[in-house]
Amino acid sequence: MSHDSTYKKSHTCKVASIGAWGSYFPDTAALADMLNAPICSSDEQLKEKTLDEKLTEENPAGKYSAGPKPEAIPANERRRAPLIVRLAVEASWQATQKVGISPQDLKCVFVSGLGDTSLTDYMCSVLASDMKKLSPTKFHNSVHNAPAGYWTISTEVMGAANSVAGFEHSVAVTLMDAIIQCNYEKAPILIAFYDAPVAEPFKALLKNEHAFAAAIVIYPEDSDKEGTRLTMELSSVQQDAFQESASQESASQQNTSINWPVLATNNSYLQDIYTNNPAGKVLCLLERLLSPAMLSSPFTLPVSDGVSIRFTCSQ
Amino acid sequence: MKISITDYNSCSAAGADIHRLRASLSSQVSGLRSNDLSGSDVPTWIGRVTDIDNVHDLGVWQSRNNVLALIGLASPSAMGDSIQHSIQHLIKQLGRERIGVVIGSSTSSIDRTEMAYTDLSDTKSFKPAYQQPRVHNPHAPGLFVAHHTGIRGPAMTVNTACSSSAKVFATAARWLDAGIVDAVLVGGVDTLCLSVVHGFDSLQLVSASPCKPFDATRDGINLGEASGFAILQRAEDAPASQHTYLTGYGESSDAYHMSHPHPEGEGARLSIAGALAMAKLAPQDLDYINLHGTASRANDSIEGKLITSMFGDAVPCSSTKGWMGHTLGAAGITEAIIAFDAMSTGLVPGSLNLQCLDDDVSIDIQAENRILSCQHVMTNSFGFGGNNCSLVFSRGSN
Repeated sequence: MSHDSTYKKSHTCKVASIGAWGSYFPDTAALADMLNAPICSSDEQLKEKTLDEKLTEENPAGKYSAGPKPEAIPANERRRAPLIVRLAVEASWQATQKVGISPQDLKCVFVSGLGDTSLTDYMCSVLASDMKKLSPTKFHNSVHNAPAGYWTISTEVMGAANSVAGFEHSVAVTLMDAIIQCNYEKAPILIAFYDAPVAEPFKALLKNEHAFAAAIVIYPEDSDKEGTRLTMELSSVQQDAFQESASQESASQQNTSINWPVLATNNSYLQDIYTNNPAGKVLCLLERLLSPAMLSSPFTLPVSDGVSIRFTCSQ
Repeated sequence: MKISITDYNSCSAAGADIHRLRASLSSQVSGLRSNDLSGSDVPTWIGRVTDIDNVHDLGVWQSRNNVLALIGLASPSAMGDSIQHSIQHLIKQLGRERIGVVIGSSTSSIDRTEMAYTDLSDTKSFKPAYQQPRVHNPHAPGLFVAHHTGIRGPAMTVNTACSSSAKVFATAARWLDAGIVDAVLVGGVDTLCLSVVHGFDSLQLVSASPCKPFDATRDGINLGEASGFAILQRAEDAPASQHTYLTGYGESSDAYHMSHPHPEGEGARLSIAGALAMAKLAPQDLDYINLHGTASRANDSIEGKLITSMFGDAVPCSSTKGWMGHTLGAAGITEAIIAFDAMSTGLVPGSLNLQCLDDDVSIDIQAENRILSCQHVMTNSFGFGGNNCSLVFSRGSN
């Protein structure tokens, strides 16, 4: 009964479109250019080719460091929208515009590994003071599903919207969950991955310094929609292949024992996102979807301490 | 869809385990108390779990939220010694990688982050005792539950505010149907903390008195804390002795406002209709509905009018938030358990503190408990961001 042969070993969906945003790339095409840039001997060389150096010098946090201004959110709401909301909505809007489907016809799953540490910082600072007076708008924006809320409100989506977290496994568990939901409910799904730089007091324990968002729209395996096939297969990890991350020691730090797939690009900015931004782990999928030469090379992501998922893309 | 519930437990101010919850429900004794949360001066009532304050030995996992999870996992469950004992049994039977974890929460362990901020170092960073990355993140309850039970299958935390731990049932049903796991431990864990008490106070949503869901004179919510757990398996894999099934779910969005429900309850209508359709039931087939019923002016008016239009007075309804308050991310599973436990016990709880029903509402609701034989029950959970989930549970033979 434990490994029931009546159940499918693998699950497949079709990726129909991609949206992406980072402080140095405003869209998927710009990200693809960075991923496909020739491998350079030094990061400096790469920087010259891909970044606007003048702006970079003026503003090391990135050409677009103020964050995206997604047109999907009405201007008056956009001003009050937190960065992670704008990140998620920008990537989601790009992905849905490209696939030619109304957002209203998409269920959605939103994931962030770190949540909104800027709002947490605001709330906890106020609550640690004598005057515990919180802004009501900041309070309702502090829920983890604020990005999903703004998305569904802005685009008038009345279907199912999920908002999840999986710490360093955020990307793998969300892909897994969304692929299963897509086929179970026979419906296309928008998946948004996003994490923002962590607020100052968190920096000793959560490393991320880059804003990053990506979104994909997936269709069921048997859909007529054109798209890249993405197949996942789960397998148990050998007991000795991972350290006892459930132990008390390792709980005090981020799990560094995992062998994450190697990202082909040597762009240090993208490597930093991939290493430290939990949502950035999706770059190993985007690299395959955006670089024809890499498409057919499978990659394996851990989804928990005991299970990993092998992903394979094909046309 | 037919997913079996093979064990469950609930921990809240109305009882630190399912057996004590049953006793509180039966005797109509509320667990609410005047706000005595440390550091909070908001004049309101809260549903605090006093046992939490006695546990300080979780080491790097220490947080109020994780202690609350621990109590729910360790205290006597409905069908076994405890949830953690039932999981140990399943691990032997299925393997620890074949069991999943899906936990709902709105605050995760933000109680611990609040505490870290009261004691920051000179450089405005967390002192060593609070350097707990696995606690200060939204997946904290999922990580802790997997760690404590020894489950090594896929683990996820759902954070959709007050619908979080209703949606975990839908997620688990899909994971089981796909065959990626053979059992899922679903749960909801949310503790009282300054963020929620002062946050809801900033929205002028808390009542200075014990909450009175659906009463004409209701004036706001009482916050509470709870943990709840259920073990879900495919019906064909479950022991023949169990007869409680998840038979339908509906998930929807309001597309209206971050903190105010859709004025006509359109999102809620979609989730209720979706759950009935999946369970292949007509509205009058339900024997009990556990309402979201927060006791806020807006929620109860909108939900009450919607239930009136969809069900009339054909189905007994109640809000049970008068017992333990609004437990936010744990409310979904707390009320799911109350609803499906009624199919086992025959005790349909009343709507505690209801004296005079709101004029706009015409549903079958009363303060007194009833003894009823229930075949199908529903529970509703609606959250910030306009996030809705309705669940249908049914009793039957395997």
